[in-house]
Amino acid sequence: MAENKDILVIGGGISGLTTAIEAAEAGYNATIVERNPYLGGRVAQLFKYFPKLCPPYCGLEINFKRIKTNPRITFYTGAEVENIGGNEGDFTASVKVNARKVNEKCTACNACVEACPVERPNDFNFGMDTTKAIYLPHDLAFPMRYVIDSSVCKGSECNKCKEACKYDAIDLDMQDKAVEINVGSIVTATGWNPYDATKMDNLGFGKIKDVVTNMMMERLSAPNGPTKGAIKRPSDGKDVQSIAFVQCAGSRDENHLPYCSAICCMASLKQATYIREKNPESDVYIFYIDLRAPGKYEDFLNKIDADEKVKLIKGKVAKIEQDGDGVVVTAEDVIGGGKINQKVDMVVLAAGMESALKGSNLLSTIKTEESDFAVSEGQTEGIYAAGVASRPNDVTTSVQGATGAALKGIQSLVRRSE
Amino acid sequence: MAEETIITPDLNFVRSLKGAGAETLKKCYQCATCSVVCPISPDDKPFPRKEMVMAQWGMKQELAADPDVWLCHNCNDCSKYCPRGARPGDVLSVMRQKAIEENAVPGFMGKIVRNPFLALLIPIILFLAVLGSTGHLKAPGEGAIEYSNFMPVTYIEIIFMSAVGLAGITYLVSLMKFWKTMGSNGAATSKGFVPSLIATLVELISHKRFAKCEANGDRRIGHLLVLYAFIGLAITTIWITYYYYVPHIETHIPLSDPMKWLGNGSAAALIIGSLILVANRMKDKGIDTISSSFDWTFLIMIVLLAISGIATEAVRLAGIKSIAYPVYFVHLVFVFYTIVYFPYSKLAHMGYRALAITYAKMADRDVQL
Repeated sequence: MAENKDILVIGGGISGLTTAIEAAEAGYNATIVERNPYLGGRVAQLFKYFPKLCPPYCGLEINFKRIKTNPRITFYTGAEVENIGGNEGDFTASVKVNARKVNEKCTACNACVEACPVERPNDFNFGMDTTKAIYLPHDLAFPMRYVIDSSVCKGSECNKCKEACKYDAIDLDMQDKAVEINVGSIVTATGWNPYDATKMDNLGFGKIKDVVTNMMMERLSAPNGPTKGAIKRPSDGKDVQSIAFVQCAGSRDENHLPYCSAICCMASLKQATYIREKNPESDVYIFYIDLRAPGKYEDFLNKIDADEKVKLIKGKVAKIEQDGDGVVVTAEDVIGGGKINQKVDMVVLAAGMESALKGSNLLSTIKTEESDFAVSEGQTEGIYAAGVASRPNDVTTSVQGATGAALKGIQSLVRRSE
Repeated sequence: MAEETIITPDLNFVRSLKGAGAETLKKCYQCATCSVVCPISPDDKPFPRKEMVMAQWGMKQELAADPDVWLCHNCNDCSKYCPRGARPGDVLSVMRQKAIEENAVPGFMGKIVRNPFLALLIPIILFLAVLGSTGHLKAPGEGAIEYSNFMPVTYIEIIFMSAVGLAGITYLVSLMKFWKTMGSNGAATSKGFVPSLIATLVELISHKRFAKCEANGDRRIGHLLVLYAFIGLAITTIWITYYYYVPHIETHIPLSDPMKWLGNGSAAALIIGSLILVANRMKDKGIDTISSSFDWTFLIMIVLLAISGIATEAVRLAGIKSIAYPVYFVHLVFVFYTIVYFPYSKLAHMGYRALAITYAKMADRDVQL
C-alpha cells in the first residue's frame, strides 16, 4: 500500500499556519482545517505583540502571502474535524465544512451588510459590539470574504442581502459539506480559549460591566476593535484614566486552572503600555502573586516598572465590587501589610488559557493530560501537537514549536516510506 | 540597607502543626486571597495570610501571642477560595489549639487533655476512691433514687469546689500570660480596656461576628446555644448551692421551680447546640476541610456531658433504679472533665477569643459588624 505523504494541520492560528507553511516549503502537501471563517486565530485579535510592541497582523500577512503562493497548501475555513480514523501513515479525517453561504465572487463591497436587517453579537470582539447576520469577520480577514451566521439569518424568505449583491456572491441555499482528507500524519494546533471568567464569582465578571478580560482589552485597544482603539470603559464610554490588572484570574488556582497560563504577566505589562500611551494621565495598578517575565523578558518588566504611573503590587485581587461610577478591587499588599481597596475606572482580568481540546470529539485519537493539553509522551503515533495545544505558550515559543511539529510530521511520513 | 530580621524556624513546631491537622500549610504560596475573602479580617495587617507564613516559618512564640488567630471564627471562606488547597481555616484552627497549649499553665495538663483516655481515667479513679472510702461502691439498695446517698454532697462539693478553684486560677494565669505577650508584640492601643471588654461581651451575646461568615454560616445557632447552655448551667449550679445552704431546701426540687426550668432548658440547649455543631462538621459544605482530633474530642465530650446529665435526671424521674447510679457516675466524670480541663481544652477558647477581640477594639483594628 502506498503510504500517504500529506500532513493535516488542525487549526489555522499562528501555530497551525506555521506548521503547514514550514511543511509545504519543505516539499510536503499540507491541509489546514480552521473552525473560524478566517485564518489567524487568537493572534488576529491581538493589538500588539510583546516585547517589541509591533502589530501582529504584519506577521500574519506574511504568512498569508506564503500560503497564497504555495500550491502545496490547502485550507478550509469554517470547518471542523469531526473524526479521525486509521493509523500513522494512513489517517482519514472526516471534516465538516459549514456553509459560508458566500462564494468566491464576493468583493467585500459591504452592500449586503447595509441591506441585512439582523444583528448578532460580534464574537470576534467578545460581544462588545454587533455585526449583521452577514458580516466580514474583521477588517483584515483572510480570506477576505463575507460569511453568513446561519443561526440567526432568516434565509431566503428575507433575501435582502442576495438582492443587494451585484456579484451573485450569495447562495442562501448553500449546504454544509462533508470532506474526507487522507493524510500520513497530523499536527493538532487547536490553540486555546480564554477561561470563562464568570466562573470566578468573587471577581464580578459578567455582573460588573467595567470588568473585562485581557483578550477584551486587546480588542478595546485595537484600531479595528469596537471603540476604534480608544480605551473607553464599556459601561458609559468614559476614557479610562485608572485601570487595575488582576493577575492569575483563574490560573494557578485549583478551583479553576491549576497551571500557570504563561503569558498573562507579559500580556498585562504589555497592555499597561496601551493605556499609558493612549491615555497619558492614566494610573495603572498591576496586582500579582509572582511576576513571571522569563529570560530576556525581564528587560520589558524593568521598562514598565520604571514608569512611575505603573504600580506593581504583590497581592492577589480576591474581591471586585461596583462602587458608584467606579470599580473597587481589594487585595492585601503582601509587602506593605495592609488591605488595598483601589477604586479604578476599569478592571482587566488576566484570564488564563484553557485548551481548546477540552471536550473535543477527537480525544479518542488525540491524547490529552488532565489539564486538557495534548501529551507528547505516549501520544498516538503520527500525531503531534503545536503551540498552545501542547502547553500554554507565548507566540514566539508557539512558532518555534510549530516548526518543530512540522519536522515531526515530516519525519513520520519519511520514516514510513523507507 | 533595610533593617534585618532574623527568623529561626522552629521545625518541630511546623511538624507538630502538620501532625495536628494542618498538613496543608506548606501549600500556601502567599497570594493573600484568604485575607481578602475573609469577612472578618481587618484592613490593617489582615489575617490569615501572615499567619500562614508564620506557620511555615515555625514562629511558635509569635503565633502563641498573635491575637488574630483568635479573631478567626473558622468561617472557611478562605479555604473555599484558596487556590492551592492550603486550607487556612483548618490551619488557624490548629494554631488556636497550639496557642492554648503554649499559654496554658501548668504545661503537663495540656498533655493529659491530648490523651482523652488518660484524661477520663483520672476522675474515674478519683470517684471510685471516694466511693470506696465511703463504702458506697455498691449502689444504695433501699428507698427512692437519691444520688446524695450514693455520692454525699460534701464530697461533691469538696471535689468540685477545688476543681473550679484550680481550673479558675490556672486559667486566669494562662490568660494573663497571653494578654501580656500579645500586648508586648502588638499594635498601639487607643481605646481603654474596660469599654472595649464591655463592647466585646455585648457582641458575644449576639454572636454578630459569626453572622458575617459565609461559607460556614450555619454554625452560629449551634455555637450560640452551647454558649448560653454553659452560662445557664453555671447559674443553675450557683442557684442550687444557694437553695441548699440558705433556705435549706433539700432535693428533690419540683420541676415547676424556676431553677429547674433554667437547668433543664440549658441542658436542652446544650444537647441541641452541640448536635448542630456535630452535624455541621459532618455536612459536606463543598469546601475541602477537616476537623482536628482536638476539636472532635471536645465536641464529643460536650455531647456526652449533655446526654449523661439528661439521662441522670430522666432515670431518676422514671425510677429506673438499676442503672441510675452508674449513669450518675458517668455524668460526674464528664462534669469533672469539663471543669478541670477547661483551661487546656477547646473550651478555653472563649477567654482567649474575648481578650483578642477586646484587644482588636482597643487597637482600632476591628471590623465593622
